[in-house]
Amino acid sequence: MSGGGEEHEQLKQKARPTSTSPLPGVSSASTSSAAAAAAGTVATSGGNGRATPEMKRSAVRSLIQRYFHQLQSGCGNVHCKNANCASSGKVPPMTPNEVAARALHLFSQDAQLCDSVPTVNSPQQDVDMLSPNDSSSSSSNSSTSTITSASTTTTTSTQSQSQSQSQSQSQSQSNTQPQSSMEQPERPPMILDFVKLSTLGSETATETETATTTTTTTAGDSGPCTPTLPSVEYVDAELLEGLYTQCQEAGNYERLCQIIDHVFSSVDRLSKSFVCRPGQERLHLESQSNSALNKEQLRQLEGEADKDEDSTQRSTTPTEPCAAASGDDAGHATATAAGADTDENDEDEPMTQQEQIDEFLRRGTKVDFRGLRHIKRMLFGAPCQSIAEQITSSVIKLADSIRNIRLSWLDLWEQVVHCLVICFDMATNTTANNSVTDMEYLDRVLPKLCHAAASMSVQAQARLAIIWSEYCADQLQTLLSSCQQQITLQVLLDEDSVRENEHIISVTKVLKIVFYANILASVLERPSCRLPLQEVVETESTASAVEDGEDLFVYNSLQHPHMPKFAEDPLEQCLQVSYIDCRSPLVPLEEFYNEALSEHIQMHQDYLSYKTLAMESHLGSRHTNYFCFMLYAFILTPATKVDALYYDCRMRMYSERYSSLYSILQNYGQDGQEGARPDLKLTVRRDQLINDALIGLELVAMSNPKDLKKQLVVEFVGEQGIDEGGVSKEFFQLIVEEIFNPAFGMFVQQEETNNMWFNPTPFENGAQFTLIGIIIGLAIYNNVILAVNFPMVVYRKLMGYRGTFYDLCDWSPTLYKSLKAMLDYQGHDMEEVFEQTFKISYSNVFGELVEHELVPHGSEVLVGQHNKRLFVNLYSDFLLNSNIEQQFKAFRKGFEMVTDESPLKLLFRPEEIEKLVCGSREFDFVELEHSTEYEGGYTEETQIVQDFWSIVHAMPHEAKRKLLEFTTGSARVPVGGLKCLRLLITRHGPDSDRLPSSHTCFNVLLLPEYSSKEKLEERLLKAINYSKGFGML
Amino acid sequence: MTAPRRLRKELVDLQESSLKSFRDIKADDDNLLRWTGLIVPDNPPYNKGAFRIEINFPAEYPFKPPKISFKTKIYHPNIDEKGQVCLPIISTENWKPATRTDQVVQALIALINDPEPEHPLRAELAEEFLKDKKKFVKNAEDYTRKHSEKRPAD
Repeated sequence: MSGGGEEHEQLKQKARPTSTSPLPGVSSASTSSAAAAAAGTVATSGGNGRATPEMKRSAVRSLIQRYFHQLQSGCGNVHCKNANCASSGKVPPMTPNEVAARALHLFSQDAQLCDSVPTVNSPQQDVDMLSPNDSSSSSSNSSTSTITSASTTTTTSTQSQSQSQSQSQSQSQSNTQPQSSMEQPERPPMILDFVKLSTLGSETATETETATTTTTTTAGDSGPCTPTLPSVEYVDAELLEGLYTQCQEAGNYERLCQIIDHVFSSVDRLSKSFVCRPGQERLHLESQSNSALNKEQLRQLEGEADKDEDSTQRSTTPTEPCAAASGDDAGHATATAAGADTDENDEDEPMTQQEQIDEFLRRGTKVDFRGLRHIKRMLFGAPCQSIAEQITSSVIKLADSIRNIRLSWLDLWEQVVHCLVICFDMATNTTANNSVTDMEYLDRVLPKLCHAAASMSVQAQARLAIIWSEYCADQLQTLLSSCQQQITLQVLLDEDSVRENEHIISVTKVLKIVFYANILASVLERPSCRLPLQEVVETESTASAVEDGEDLFVYNSLQHPHMPKFAEDPLEQCLQVSYIDCRSPLVPLEEFYNEALSEHIQMHQDYLSYKTLAMESHLGSRHTNYFCFMLYAFILTPATKVDALYYDCRMRMYSERYSSLYSILQNYGQDGQEGARPDLKLTVRRDQLINDALIGLELVAMSNPKDLKKQLVVEFVGEQGIDEGGVSKEFFQLIVEEIFNPAFGMFVQQEETNNMWFNPTPFENGAQFTLIGIIIGLAIYNNVILAVNFPMVVYRKLMGYRGTFYDLCDWSPTLYKSLKAMLDYQGHDMEEVFEQTFKISYSNVFGELVEHELVPHGSEVLVGQHNKRLFVNLYSDFLLNSNIEQQFKAFRKGFEMVTDESPLKLLFRPEEIEKLVCGSREFDFVELEHSTEYEGGYTEETQIVQDFWSIVHAMPHEAKRKLLEFTTGSARVPVGGLKCLRLLITRHGPDSDRLPSSHTCFNVLLLPEYSSKEKLEERLLKAINYSKGFGML
Repeated sequence: MTAPRRLRKELVDLQESSLKSFRDIKADDDNLLRWTGLIVPDNPPYNKGAFRIEINFPAEYPFKPPKISFKTKIYHPNIDEKGQVCLPIISTENWKPATRTDQVVQALIALINDPEPEHPLRAELAEEFLKDKKKFVKNAEDYTRKHSEKRPAD
């Protein structure tokens, strides 16, 4: 922390006095003179020589403040000649913003400072300090008061009298006062806290003032100090508890309520409340007895260590309050004093903006959760209801004022974040038996808090997410469900305009913060799965250049899955984290789905907003008014997201269709040239299915890959049947069956899991893999479910991520467990026990042993403690990535040909894509029964219908699968469950020997009204067991 | 023919350790992943003969467990008629890559000597073992005499 060198020492000395006491003798702020002047004062204040960069910062800050006051209020000397002093009359009228900017400028130029700035303690200040009512340390120095006044004028509508009093103070004084005079030795910890806060506050002073739009009130209008009104600047657990006990004894809680209102409705005051004393934070952390320390927590521990340094520093310099300036706030004044920085450069380079943001994000919070929660329970459990009510209404006031803040300064957000952490924690941290008061607070305050939090800058939101993940991980579940309740409630109240509902929107925004907090609080995979992406693309592009000659599908630019720029999540970017890194989230991500919202959202309208945003970002204009839930995909159920995808697909299909219609019209009559078809037509022979499909799609892909986005229409040669979806469903199914047949050699079935995996030594060329990629893409695009069994890693890879060790878990559980056991092995005899080299072996499709060296000369490198992690990573990477690289590349290329430009990646996580492709694997026929509709005279009451369901429910799983395949053309459950099938059972004439039949494209089952249940069962089973081919019945 | 380094070492170690109850250990000439060996139990009713076993190692050894099967017929509750044996130490649930083949063989020998009728592969033998030990022993001895290989001289 403390550097060496003479120059540095000088700077420290310069720093301290300017921040602690006014220096009447200083006429210029130039480094040398200030330092020289400082030398004298240091002796009197008896400094013990420890100084920190923070002190220098605060010195800079108070200097800038002095310029500010001088510009605004003047030095008070009527004969003043300083052109930059209001008293000289040479300063033109300026808005506070301009004044602040000017002050910064003056500082950077070391301009003249008037020396006759009044410094005497104002009588009011003395009154304040001696006020017997004042249980808190009211020793606010004037710099704090200034901020208080400034920020409250901007942020709060309510101002207590004591407020204006301190304002007057700041006006008359226009300077800092010696802090040493305010020390109250009888309560040292409190003072330390407070001083820390006051310096913390003073930092923001310039910034707040810069933003102040109303000029500070004139000194004259402050009323006399009412002795009953305390000027409490902050509260903490101890103080409130004491006060509560006092009030309880007196039987009158009015004073408590007053103080609560005073503090809780002010960002400034609340931001100084419930602050951890040095050392407490550590206790809190340890109490979070979390066995598995994740990376975040480790990082936090490191951070704690830093803070400890600070706190020791504080305790070693109890007589030097200014040394207690919060260490974490260092560097932030760089933002304020950018360019004016005189002392920072000696030690280190000025922080870049990114570094500042990082530092801001990592700062943690000083909220004393233990005390806060204790107080919350105490006050909300109090017999006097008005206390809780007071808190509620004050917090609402606070939240409203936060909403109006439009600032980008990190330090002001520091205060706001502190407040919000307190208020949210009070909302979620309820007593065991959810009392009425708790619920009342939650219901009324949460929407307001969400508005406030949603209006914060991205950095502040990110900070909140980090704080929640580190300190309040146990509260996330409650917070999530409370937010969900709010949304659901609003949806029910306002079903028609869900998308415009302000409440829903801001709660959704907060849910995003919760979402990321949840991810941060979980065990994350490091290095992040998203990082090697770049590298993947590079190797792919170089490899494809070599290979293009032999590749049948000409498609040059294999890029990342489509993710439009405007849709990138700023919060995700700020936090540098993605759900993709999180294998087992603390709160399951499914809990973020909001059913009610998803149901009422009217996806086509949301999709329009999405398109509008896309258009705007394309044109470069920015109308952020549009809110689009598609950018908050976590809240939407997969079924709703499928809707969005559906609209997107249709939109593209129609636009392709329209353009081809247009070209038909254009080419009409031109020597019989055949125009483009409005759809993607594929004519295939049953016995040459793969070849025909391959050639057909190849032609399309070569001539015009965009045609792949048209609606697919399949025709089997020699078969009648108009493809309204049913024929292509069968086509997909047959082609998948054939291509995935292990005998075909493209894929191998994994023994342990029955999953299909790419044959590392295939007989087929890449084109076949591209074809299957196209098929998978087309299936998603055309809303068809396929019977493919890929391990999850395939979908992760399709989304552009590399397979990692964790992916082995469902790829080969045994291998995963063994490698895990190896990682967990702690003995130092690892080389002897495992005798494992960096050469691994596997058997190919012919059962032959194939060996592979993970590193050059791998057979000579033994795996030991130092390189076991590397071994496991390389091994996994080999199996999941490099061993099948060519095949997978071809496969993904095909997939991308169809799905590029679609919001697939934006909307779906790999797990959801998997469900999209192959449906979920469980059949809930009860659900199907409830959603089934009837026609042709049947109702759910009809005897045969009732018989039908009792037969079906009694069927074994395999028969159910066949029935499903028979009626819908697919054995898979669509996303959203069987109820989304909308099965229709139609009466197909009276009793006859005809078999039941179906229209797979419309999911219609045609059922003759058989004479008996037995006959029905017999006919039904016969039908489902002999079905193959279209229109055969 | 190649094989994982560890496997080659384990083979040599086992051959050199000259266990009394597991002998004649060889790897196939054309496939080092397949070993054979002779189990020579100490306890009655199996101490009248010797049993040939085959150990098949997967290519991914030691990250996947080996499989053991009996080439010699044996009357034992834990070994089925096809010679398959259910040995917890090499089940996919319990397998640890640090487990060595000699440990596996030791576990196998222990199982042969002391059947575990609680987890049988042949329920009828397990029942006989529990209900009529005498009859079981007699049957097993007869069976051993009839089917097993000759015990080595030393």
